[in-house]
Amino acid sequence: MSTRTTPQTPAPPETAPSTPSSPPPRGPITQPRLGPLGWARWAWRQLTSMRTALFLLLLLSVGAVPGSIFPQRSIDAVKVTDYIVAHATSGPILDRLGFFDVYASPWFSAIYLLLVVSLIGCIVPRSRIHWHTLRSKPPRAPKRLERLDEHVTFTYAGEPAQVLEAARKLLRRQRFRVVVNADDSVSAENGYLRETGNLVFHIAICVIIVGVAIGHLFSFRGDVIVTEGEAFSSTVSSYNSVIPGPLTNLDQLPPFTIDLQKLDVKFEEQARGAQLGAPREFTAHVQTTEKPGDQPQQQTISPNHPITLDGTEVFLLGNGYAPVVTVKDTKGHVLYSQATPFLAQDNNYTSTGAIKVGSARPKQLAFSGFFLPTAEPTYANGPVSIFPDDQNPELALSIWEGDLYPGGRPQSVYTLNTAQLSQVTKADGSPLLIRLKPGQTFTLPGDRGTISFDSVARWAGLSARVDPGQGLTLAAALLTLLGLLATLLVRRRRVFVRAVAAPDDPSDAPATGPAEALAIRRADGADMHTHSQPSRAGEVSAAGAIPRTVVTIGGLAKNADPGLGTLLIRLRDELT
Amino acid sequence: MSADLSTELVTYSNLALYSAMAVFTVAMLLFAFHLAALGPEKMDRSVAASRPRKPALVGAAEGGGSDLDSDADLPAGDLPSGGGPDDEPETSLRARKMAGMAIMVSWLGTLLVVSSVVMRGLAVMRPPWGNMFEFAVAGAAAVALAFCILVRRNHWEWLGLFVIGPVLLTLGLALFAFYTEAAELVPALKSVWLVIHVTVAILAVGVLTIGFSVGIVYLVKKRREESPSDRRNFMETLPSAARLERTAYGLNMVGFILWTFTLIAGAIWAQKAWSSYWTWDPKEVWTFVIWVVYAAYMHARATAGWEPRKAMTIALVGYVCVILNFTLVNLVFTGLHSYSGLK
Repeated sequence: MSTRTTPQTPAPPETAPSTPSSPPPRGPITQPRLGPLGWARWAWRQLTSMRTALFLLLLLSVGAVPGSIFPQRSIDAVKVTDYIVAHATSGPILDRLGFFDVYASPWFSAIYLLLVVSLIGCIVPRSRIHWHTLRSKPPRAPKRLERLDEHVTFTYAGEPAQVLEAARKLLRRQRFRVVVNADDSVSAENGYLRETGNLVFHIAICVIIVGVAIGHLFSFRGDVIVTEGEAFSSTVSSYNSVIPGPLTNLDQLPPFTIDLQKLDVKFEEQARGAQLGAPREFTAHVQTTEKPGDQPQQQTISPNHPITLDGTEVFLLGNGYAPVVTVKDTKGHVLYSQATPFLAQDNNYTSTGAIKVGSARPKQLAFSGFFLPTAEPTYANGPVSIFPDDQNPELALSIWEGDLYPGGRPQSVYTLNTAQLSQVTKADGSPLLIRLKPGQTFTLPGDRGTISFDSVARWAGLSARVDPGQGLTLAAALLTLLGLLATLLVRRRRVFVRAVAAPDDPSDAPATGPAEALAIRRADGADMHTHSQPSRAGEVSAAGAIPRTVVTIGGLAKNADPGLGTLLIRLRDELT
Repeated sequence: MSADLSTELVTYSNLALYSAMAVFTVAMLLFAFHLAALGPEKMDRSVAASRPRKPALVGAAEGGGSDLDSDADLPAGDLPSGGGPDDEPETSLRARKMAGMAIMVSWLGTLLVVSSVVMRGLAVMRPPWGNMFEFAVAGAAAVALAFCILVRRNHWEWLGLFVIGPVLLTLGLALFAFYTEAAELVPALKSVWLVIHVTVAILAVGVLTIGFSVGIVYLVKKRREESPSDRRNFMETLPSAARLERTAYGLNMVGFILWTFTLIAGAIWAQKAWSSYWTWDPKEVWTFVIWVVYAAYMHARATAGWEPRKAMTIALVGYVCVILNFTLVNLVFTGLHSYSGLK
């Protein structure tokens, strides 16, 4: 992480190569002039500096925050509209500045694209350097290892060549890359994985962005509401809403079918407080085929357990009630009979919806209002549900007649466009509200026929998703984790061993041991040959015949590395 | 499991929590007394405490112990154990006694919290971190347990006040502000990823919390080293600023790795539960923001020419984001992560 170019002071602009040869400028211009290449180089150096990268990182974190504060179009477009309406002054300005589409806004994109460029500008040269490092030998040992931050000196009973060979084997075993130099020294290095991991991490970050881009360009999302007993076959037109990526080929949607047989729903009935009524189970029992003509499969879809049909994942993301309503004319002909999905407005599933009877004559007929799974019977605060399950279901509807589809424009199936409709009232002119329980029928005033509430069905909100980039993104994300582990946990270390034959006088080179090494270091600067070990004199003379070698091990680490000293001590102990 | 037994377990679980709070209060006081008793009587202590790092190897050579082996900078596995911290000032008997008692009491509190978590888990028959209350308690338990295990080996007695304090605060908030009835999970949370994603998130927050505490202590100590005061106090007996900085870095590094894992595991879970691995939900945004801020810290620290103090400031900002992510995002912003259990 540290080899990135880090100018302590801002890098001075470089002059273009051509400038020095051109004649000196006349007039007041005193600054050296930059050619386009010079400027480009300067800009590149600025952009790829660690200082800029850090600044961009911090900017990215700050830039991401507004997306969590302001409503986002990508999540809830209705909320955005509400916000702009409620904030007449600031709303439109914020909108222009992209605060409702933060993650697609030019300024947010600019931050992360600059960051990616900076990243690449860092990765490429570092990869080149690392490639060379990986194929080169550890550098030669410095002359005076005592000058390194970490070092130990001791005497070894044996020839220099012996101790160097022993050191080579030992370091090799510790997974060091080792060379024995001609000048009686050994150079060793390990922890190359640190830089490898670092590069893998940064490259993987770029790959994640590629994966996200592929997902964005070629993804598909189709949402559909399916009521119990209904079958759905996947074509572009059969979804309630379709969100394709810019390059998605909609002709190639997999033609699977889903038959929703039953939706099992449970809510918390025992716990008190805020947990009462919390959802406990949603399970859609479905019969599916991947292609027309296939043998139908019995499957279940529930939260956290999507199903995959021919490469498309299908999720259960919503649910609600679809009261089954029948409308007949005065002669008893059925004008309308179907389960009509109502959309839940709160946690107790107080739901709103509309029943549009286009075939009613002479005027088209419509009903709009509420479905309450557990109706609060007094309507003291209007029609509300007090529990999400269907314990006391009720429909509360007002009646409209007139032109349902003014101008033939498309409209939501859940609301009425009342521009060309008039409300049917009681005899006294007050609005007529019908309250129906399952099985009840209401006779509409003025020979308009009847409406009956037959039963309660449920609907499932299914979402079909294709994201061809997500596999790549996942693989890259896991690579970033591996790279990060290597970067932060592996230590890059260089260890040098130098061996010098000790002078012949045995009393000058006492037997080796931790105490000696310490004494030597204690002399601090004078380095060796302390004569303060009288207690060992006996041993020394006993071992006098063996040739002795003064060995120095020096260690060098890239960053603060508290373990390096310990490593050297251990090497010393193993060698003696 | 019968409803009666379940209710009883929840009662005991909460009782254990209240007891733990009382016990931790005592532990915190003892740690405070420990710090007070640390106040040095001899001048040379401050010298020893802030001794530069370079001659550390001497100590290592002496007895295998030095500031090397009590360093949290790297997994301690490859370090020699044993051997007194020779370069650390002698702590007074009184201070050592206080620390010993404080650690004992902390263990008691920790066992109470852990048993509370276990009982809650048994009562609801699932990992007990499905809402804000449970997450906070589990997080506090993780921090306390980690601290109790590590305190002796790393000579972190001085840190006790700064760890047990936040733990106590968290438990208090959990019980009095976030308390949620024990209940089954909403379907979106019924997944093996609750165990993976949330457990690692708890660990990450725990480690980052200790890292934050050490970071604060580092800043104070650093200032003191730069302008030594005549009135000496316990600050002189704390490890040197450089060592505090390395310890905080080590903790933040581990926290950052865990946070990266949390982020990735969360994305995988989001794909399963919400059909898309990334939707810029407020929680996702803030998890991302925290990740980026800590990434900036790691870069700043690795950059030569950046003062460690400035880098540490970034890490502290990162932790503030962690706290915002847990409080503001759960309680104020609306998003898919609406699992606080509060209304």
